[in-house]
Amino acid sequence: MTMSFSAPLVKIQSLHKSYGPHIQVLKGLDIEMKPGERVVVIGPSGGGKSTLLRVMMGLEKIDSGAISFGGKPYISSEGADRKTVIDTEVRRSIGMVFQHYTLFPHLSVIQNLILAPCKVRGEAKASATKRAQALLERFGLGAKAGAYPAQLSGGQKQRVAIARALMLDPKLMLFDEVTSALDPELVAEVEQVILQLAAQDMPMMIVTHDMWFAKNIASRVIFCAGGVVAEEGPPEQVLGSPKEERTREFIDRVFHIRH
Amino acid sequence: MTLDFSILLRFQDALALGLWMTIKLTLICVVLGCSLGFVIGLARTSRSTLLRAASSIYVEFFRGTPVLVQLFWIFFCLPLILGVELSNLTSGVIALTLYMGAISSETFRASLKSIGPEQLDACVALGLPRRVQVTSVVLPQAVLRAVPTLLSNCVSLFKESALVSAVGMADLMFVGQNISNNTARPVEVLTVVALIYFVIAFPLTRAVTLIERRVLTKLAI
Repeated sequence: MTMSFSAPLVKIQSLHKSYGPHIQVLKGLDIEMKPGERVVVIGPSGGGKSTLLRVMMGLEKIDSGAISFGGKPYISSEGADRKTVIDTEVRRSIGMVFQHYTLFPHLSVIQNLILAPCKVRGEAKASATKRAQALLERFGLGAKAGAYPAQLSGGQKQRVAIARALMLDPKLMLFDEVTSALDPELVAEVEQVILQLAAQDMPMMIVTHDMWFAKNIASRVIFCAGGVVAEEGPPEQVLGSPKEERTREFIDRVFHIRH
Repeated sequence: MTLDFSILLRFQDALALGLWMTIKLTLICVVLGCSLGFVIGLARTSRSTLLRAASSIYVEFFRGTPVLVQLFWIFFCLPLILGVELSNLTSGVIALTLYMGAISSETFRASLKSIGPEQLDACVALGLPRRVQVTSVVLPQAVLRAVPTLLSNCVSLFKESALVSAVGMADLMFVGQNISNNTARPVEVLTVVALIYFVIAFPLTRAVTLIERRVLTKLAI
């Protein structure tokens, strides 16, 4: 994919999304993400953070708006019936990791990793296995290749889920509250893996409630509330001295809970 | 009353033949019934209203009526309606297959439904085409989850198969009844027949528990 440095990697325009007639989750969201950026999305529950990521992955229909990736529009709503149109070819450049691991429980770790490369890209099993093994070694999971997901700790499962997404060489990673379901002592091992990816300039969008992590990984923080971007800026500004009253209230509350 | 189990030794060949017939009938109806049940299970989760309604009527009817009545109906009434002669073996196979199909379809339906939407989210996020989602993710999990209940269904079928003796099929129960009538030793004969059923059914029920514990705990599904 070729693009000039300043061209946005992701461009989200006026995104609207509701669940049924009464619950409007996204109310005209606009976000631009540059290549190499690590955007952390924070905000109160129900503010549309996870929905945003799910829409970007093509898991949810939209009411209106458009999203483009690398200059190519890939999600839009068209026609009189406002049907959501998704370009699956472009979507394949995006990887996503969920809160609840979503590993395939009947497949071993290595089988989880090679399923998509073999079935989607037609990669030979031997070559996919070799890549998968190398990736597992890198994430400290080399010995777990033959284990089943149920035999792993939450932190290990989440690292496998990240490795599985990386097997498809994504150009953007979406992380949806990936440490929220973990015991506190397991959070660091998963965050380390994501920081490792960040160090390699992997563009990513992260939804998290962990403000320490947000501060450490973000190149930009977006505060999403009421279905719109309420405030955005560098982490030290949004997390340290937010301009908006509701951002300040939220940050105070979250830090109050943590300390 | 004195018990003499040694009289059964004279009839061991007949009992063995009867048992073989019971096992054969059970195996045939397990294979046919599970295949039917799988298709019906899919039909019950189908998008088509017609398919859902038709399969629901079939399942509810066969679950809501006694197997003995179904068997008699197929043996006595179906030939009158179709105008063809049905052997007792054919009637037995049809009745038990329809029974197995109805109960196993519920098993397959429940296991298909138990696969959470997050598994499909993961499939979409990995770009898996619909065909791969079904063959590599949904079906293997559904079948694995169904195994313990299906085995229980098989044990039920094995026991229910004794009903075919009522239409004169020479299964274990039929042979046992004949020996009991001829020897006037119902206590010894029917006790031994019950024990033979038990000796086969019991390990199967134990296997269900073992499979549940070992395989499903390992996979946590």
